[in-house]
Amino acid sequence: MVVKMYWISKGFIFTKVDSFVHKLDPRVKLLISIQFFTLALLVSDLIDLAIIFIGIILLASISKILSRLIRTMLFALLFSGIILGINIIAGYSFIYSLQIALRFVAIVCSTSIFFLITSPDELEYVLRWFRIPNDLVFAFVTAVRFVPIILLDALQIIDAQKSRGLELERGNPITRIKNFVPILVPLIVNEVIRSGELAEAMESRCYGVVKKPTVLYELQLNINDKLAIPFCTSIFILGLLFSI
Amino acid sequence: MKEKSIIKFENFSFRYDSANEFILKNINLEINKNELVILAGPTGCGKSTLLRSIIGLIPHMHGGEYKGRVIVDQLVVNDVKITDLAKKAGFVFQNPENQIFMFSIERDIVFGLENLGTSRTIMKERVDSILSLLKIEHLATKAPHELSDGEKQKAALAGILAMQPKILILDEPTSLLDPKTAIDFINIVNDLRKKIGMTIVIVEHRLDLVVGIADKLIILSNGKIIENNNPKQVLHYSNQLIPEIGIPVISRLYRNLAKSNYDFDNVIVTVKDMVKEMRRKKFND
Amino acid sequence: MIEFKNVNYIHVNGIQALKEINLSIKPKTINALVGSNGTGKTTLARHINGLLKPTSGNVLVFGKNTKKISVASLSKRIGMVFQNSNHQLFADTVKNEILFGLNNFETDSQIKKNRFEWALNFFDLKKYENTSPLKLSGGEKKRLCIASVLAWNPEVLILDEPTVGQDQVQKEKMLKFISNLNKQGKTIIIISHDLEFLWPLKPNTIVMAKGRIKKTGKMTDIFSDDELLNQTCLMRPQLLDLWMKLNIKEEPPGDITEATDAIRRINGS
Ligand SMILES: Nc1ncnc2c1ncn2[C@@H]1O[C@H](COP(=O)(O)OP(=O)(O)OP(=O)(O)O)[C@@H](O)[C@H]1O
Ligand SMILES: Nc1ncnc2c1ncn2[C@@H]1O[C@H](COP(=O)(O)OP(=O)(O)OP(=O)(O)O)[C@@H](O)[C@H]1O
Ligand SMILES: [Mg+2]
Ligand SMILES: [Mg+2]
Repeated sequence: MVVKMYWISKGFIFTKVDSFVHKLDPRVKLLISIQFFTLALLVSDLIDLAIIFIGIILLASISKILSRLIRTMLFALLFSGIILGINIIAGYSFIYSLQIALRFVAIVCSTSIFFLITSPDELEYVLRWFRIPNDLVFAFVTAVRFVPIILLDALQIIDAQKSRGLELERGNPITRIKNFVPILVPLIVNEVIRSGELAEAMESRCYGVVKKPTVLYELQLNINDKLAIPFCTSIFILGLLFSI
Repeated sequence: MKEKSIIKFENFSFRYDSANEFILKNINLEINKNELVILAGPTGCGKSTLLRSIIGLIPHMHGGEYKGRVIVDQLVVNDVKITDLAKKAGFVFQNPENQIFMFSIERDIVFGLENLGTSRTIMKERVDSILSLLKIEHLATKAPHELSDGEKQKAALAGILAMQPKILILDEPTSLLDPKTAIDFINIVNDLRKKIGMTIVIVEHRLDLVVGIADKLIILSNGKIIENNNPKQVLHYSNQLIPEIGIPVISRLYRNLAKSNYDFDNVIVTVKDMVKEMRRKKFND
Repeated sequence: MIEFKNVNYIHVNGIQALKEINLSIKPKTINALVGSNGTGKTTLARHINGLLKPTSGNVLVFGKNTKKISVASLSKRIGMVFQNSNHQLFADTVKNEILFGLNNFETDSQIKKNRFEWALNFFDLKKYENTSPLKLSGGEKKRLCIASVLAWNPEVLILDEPTVGQDQVQKEKMLKFISNLNKQGKTIIIISHDLEFLWPLKPNTIVMAKGRIKKTGKMTDIFSDDELLNQTCLMRPQLLDLWMKLNIKEEPPGDITEATDAIRRINGS
């Protein structure tokens, strides 16, 4: 179970992939994700949902991230199972409950696809483009950045402790919880040290000196982006018409 | 009147909040403009602590008991913000892992410049020149967690060099670099120092890399400065050389031979010096 | 004992870190893995105890394929010490830190007791038995990490950059530990850029470049090859350099004492 959780969480770490989608302007990626998100929110019947899933899976395969999206999907399915159960207990019909549950999965997928195709750096560009205050941008982006850092640290620590004979899956439920101690303690110690040193490193590189820092790259739409926008938008509008 | 020294410690003592004892005790030290200074000493003797107090991380980020004054380029460290000092002094920390954090190395390299509001054209120029200077063009778009240990260290160094600081503070900057790259790096900063004028303070356990070019070798032990002089002088005549100092193998050989009544005409810090000296003595003819 | 057969490894981002690695490590030897930054040394080491599995090819350890056994069971015979000590220290005292691996691998309480005592004494940690590992200095932390691995008596010890951040005294202690362990029959694999540190150990040297093994052999032979050194970003250890520049035919000295004696002998005659 634990190992599976880690397998799933690895799906959340952004990795740069050489694909058409990854090269798009981050604003276009955001647009696409929002369109999927909106459709997922609006549609209700199972056929429409199926179409959305096909769309999401298509997008994921073009971006070469399908295998990682599937991890997120499984994660979401776990929760959607709970949603399904609650709805049925609450007395709704099975079909209706299933729709609600699957819609949840679609929403999660359309959000997570954005994070799988957009690096934290690009996210920062987008937020800046929306003229969100610098401190907020930085806080948000730092948080997003930290997720993979902590996950990766945890994986490293698990590796180190496995090499000392730690078997997470061994023993009765209580020993299993105890098995976590050799992972949690170094993880916490490490993150405390890390955040202190990161703060030092940022200060000593003049963080916060000017109100409006410059950025290395300017967002610019290239030809692919200009084609992708009308293409996706027309599909989106079709989808809207279809679902209403 | 023009000041000669750029960093000055006046009766400086420091104790971390959580510690009972003073880590640094009554330090008096002057480092001159455009000098390259090596700081050496046993682990845990307070080298990093001394460096932290130059850039103001002590006392501004680490609480504790602070006595005396530290003056950096005419600013009293205690009275100014860290970022005011950071504009003058670049600091490469001991652990590269915790100082590169942007998702692509090129963005990380310009992090400091972005914060200073530098124009885009200048930033692009700097990134390109630093990447090629350190021969890490292939890392530009990678994320920190995709790098090997040595590559992380190179990225950390690049991020500071890009800011072209007046003062460069390096805490064990070559610990993870391969031997050739380590030497190249030391030569690169030394050339920069001569070209644009820079003061360099470097903590290094392996002295063979730096003794040849350094102006001073400072040895810190038990919270006190026990030696502060020209490296050749220190390596050969000092009777304060504690065993923790990583004296180059060749200098240790020299000291051993000198002890057994070998007389040398010159001071020896490199293998080349030694070969010359031995030839002169008609060694192995 | 450890065999790599046509091993290739590709990271998730598509970087091929190991290319067609064929390697065989013999029991009871000291081996040094050297080469420039990013050539795949750490990646290779992580294959030995199964933390990474080859993308293609096989790694055989004690005749078994690493793809078929768990990291934990491999680790019983292969101890690995990671670069960052903070990634493994977790216990409240030095004692419990050492007992952790021991308890995982050893059931006999008498053996446990003996091994524990041995590790504590061999690594000079007796006086810290009841202190928290977090209070130790960097060098001592490293020593504790090695002690806690060696406690369960693995046959192979892998060290990734053991000298980083250590002062000369700590390095010399480490040197002694390593050669003593080897004399007791352990196989040792060290990854290091600190060639002066490796030199006195006279290891069997494996040079890597760009994901491939470039050459293996005795340190003296490898470091006499100027072209190889240039290609792989290595430097010649000073004593060997001196010997070569002075054209001395006899075996180069392992340490300063030997060098002093040799020079006095050659010159005295
Ligand atoms: N933030 C801190 N709070 C409390 N004590 C600290 C802190 N940082 C360091 N120390 C302690 O202060 C002493 C000096 O530490 P410092 O890091 O300056 O040593 P160093 O000379 O850089 O050693 P090394 O060569 O191992 O890096 C050590 O005993 C250390 O444990
Ligand atoms: N987690 C990772 N994801 C992707 N690529 C990686 C990862 N770790 C390492 N690499 C890449 O694989 C190659 C080999 O890395 P490795 O860490 O094995 O090098 P190394 O020989 O140990 O170098 P160093 O001496 O700098 O530690 C490098 O090009 C590195 O960029
Ligand atoms: Mg330090
Ligand atoms: Mg490595």
